[in-house]
Amino acid sequence: MTEKMSRSLSRGLLHTVIIFIALLWLIPTIGVLVTSFRPAQDVANSGWWTVFESIFSSVRLTLRNYEVVLSRLGIGRAFLNSFLITLPATLIPLGIALFAAYALAWMRFFARTFVFMIIIALLMVPLQMTFIPILQIFNKSGLAGTFPGIWLAHSGYGLPLAIYMLYNFISGLPKELFDSASIDGAPPFYIFLYIVLPLSVPIIASLTIFQFLWVWNDLLVALIYLGGTPDVAPITVQISSLVGSYGQDWELLTAAVFISIVPSLAVFFGLQRYFVRGILAGSIKE
Amino acid sequence: MGKKIIFLLILGLLLGGVSTTGFAEKTVTMLGIWGGGERDAFMKMLEPFEAKTGIRVEFTGTRDLPTVLTTRVAAGNPPDISALPNPGQMQEFAKIRALVDLSQFMDMSKLQDEYAETWIDLGSYRKTVYAIFISADLKSLVWYSPKAFADAGYQIPQTWEELIALSDKIAAQGKAPWSIGLESGAASGWPGTDWIEDIMLRVASPEVYDKWVNHGISWTDPMVKRAWELFGQIARNEKYVYGGAAAALTTSFGEAPNALFTTPPRAYMHKQATFIKSFILKYNPDLQPGVDFSFFPFPSIDLDYGTPALGAADMFAVFKDTPEAQALMRYLATAGAQEIWVAELGKLSANRRVNPNAYPDDLTRKAAEVLASAETFRFDGSDLMPAAVGSGSFWSGILDYVGGEDLDSVLERIEETAVDAYKE
Repeated sequence: MTEKMSRSLSRGLLHTVIIFIALLWLIPTIGVLVTSFRPAQDVANSGWWTVFESIFSSVRLTLRNYEVVLSRLGIGRAFLNSFLITLPATLIPLGIALFAAYALAWMRFFARTFVFMIIIALLMVPLQMTFIPILQIFNKSGLAGTFPGIWLAHSGYGLPLAIYMLYNFISGLPKELFDSASIDGAPPFYIFLYIVLPLSVPIIASLTIFQFLWVWNDLLVALIYLGGTPDVAPITVQISSLVGSYGQDWELLTAAVFISIVPSLAVFFGLQRYFVRGILAGSIKE
Repeated sequence: MGKKIIFLLILGLLLGGVSTTGFAEKTVTMLGIWGGGERDAFMKMLEPFEAKTGIRVEFTGTRDLPTVLTTRVAAGNPPDISALPNPGQMQEFAKIRALVDLSQFMDMSKLQDEYAETWIDLGSYRKTVYAIFISADLKSLVWYSPKAFADAGYQIPQTWEELIALSDKIAAQGKAPWSIGLESGAASGWPGTDWIEDIMLRVASPEVYDKWVNHGISWTDPMVKRAWELFGQIARNEKYVYGGAAAALTTSFGEAPNALFTTPPRAYMHKQATFIKSFILKYNPDLQPGVDFSFFPFPSIDLDYGTPALGAADMFAVFKDTPEAQALMRYLATAGAQEIWVAELGKLSANRRVNPNAYPDDLTRKAAEVLASAETFRFDGSDLMPAAVGSGSFWSGILDYVGGEDLDSVLERIEETAVDAYKE
């Protein structure tokens, strides 16, 4: 009886703490959301929380920020560009990383550990350091300002982490699976295709989310390699150009952020049931 | 089945991506800092050029201009024409021969006729003109509400003594004379640097100001110290500043002037550049420029030095010598182009042939007159200093000083960073 009570009490306490932390995390986002519906004058003169204080008297909310953003952004083209950049820049590194991780984990070849160490070391290179040399190469090869150029760049930046995470997962698969497959005469590519791939779905989903969000939200890499002309600029570049050089019109940003967040949320919720499994993957060995 | 769809999708994307890239049209690529309404105004200025020449201008505006420009220049992929953040940056680029000599294709005698010598000098490196100015912001202004002044019977101060006397008078009536806003995100503190620079120009000669900017005199020099003390006389006086130092440190520069337009006014004066007009109008759309708000020149302190003008300006330089870039540069320098640009924004033109009627209101016209008639013009000093000082310790020094720190230790700290920064 007392045991039961204390258990439900501690669970209640745990839930309270979790909900409290979650709310604390959400506060900035809620602030941005509320601000995105407020007129510029109100944004300047009072905090967003004052909306709740006077919720019954004279709340002034407006959709104007969203209207301005949608009409100014050329939103269709920007969204399309963002997808044109993000989808290949997510799928290409993921594909390469899968092959690489499988090879590094289960195939024996010369200097395997060394290659793996180099890849891990690349995790520590700040990407800003690479801008000038890579842009020089892109200039010479005509890749600067083109979509294939930025796919390549994002693939390079995403690969080390993707290989590292996939390696950890794939190397943790039971050895017996591979043994019995090769006894049955399956060549490595078949093992990869019919054993490794289906088993790796959770981790692939988590990595897809990571890489998609990273590329979708990127501003600087796109500005450097693509430039910001409307026919190639992704949505982040267009959003940043809504704000004046002194930071004026920033209330438009709050609305733009919620528009650009939609695909990210869709990807996240679409893949999140795999995501949780992916993070847990490898935590328990049977 | 699913795989096939994904494959087709990727193939489609590849083709779609590649097909948008290869166009052979006459274009100029251009990098700038403007966004939002500024960007719209800039594009409007370019319209007649595009219509007349058939050259398409591909403009990118980003507040990351210094990073993007430096990277692209270093990688050998600069835009054809770019805005430059300040003359110091222009000299850096000129030094490494990244810029095109404008005298090769521009009519220099026309340029000298249309631009004051200050502007041509500021755009030159070792007697070669590399950059032109299209517009300027005048910083030496104190904004006030003529109605509030009339109601309370205040007179516009002509000298520093009168300014302090007026401040005392307002404070004695239990009201705040000044509204100060130093907050600006990561750039917090910069509005205070304008105060120091304007005061410097009024307590020392322009030559001393130049020396100070180039670290020819130390930050602990008595003249520099005096400028800070005069700033502190206002900014550190709890009775002078609306909300005291705490409000000065946490109020955003764009929202600070709002205190002048409440009923009753929370404050009476605000020192800021011409661009603040757009902020005032945005947050208080019912106000009439010139009627509900106006400005007077920041008064002289030592009469010997008068009332010099402090400002910042928008400059352009050519990085790739193409016929299209040349044509656009010639266009940008004309009074006609700048008339469109200043009409939209309330900026001041650098070209003296610009028709004063192009300015959107009397207030902007008045600011243009102040700028044109100033005997001395100096560029915003913090923009000319090395970044470690001009957008580093100078900014944070302002915050520390207004926050109540001892002046000597603030100045010694700035001097320390300056010794390192100017070495390079």
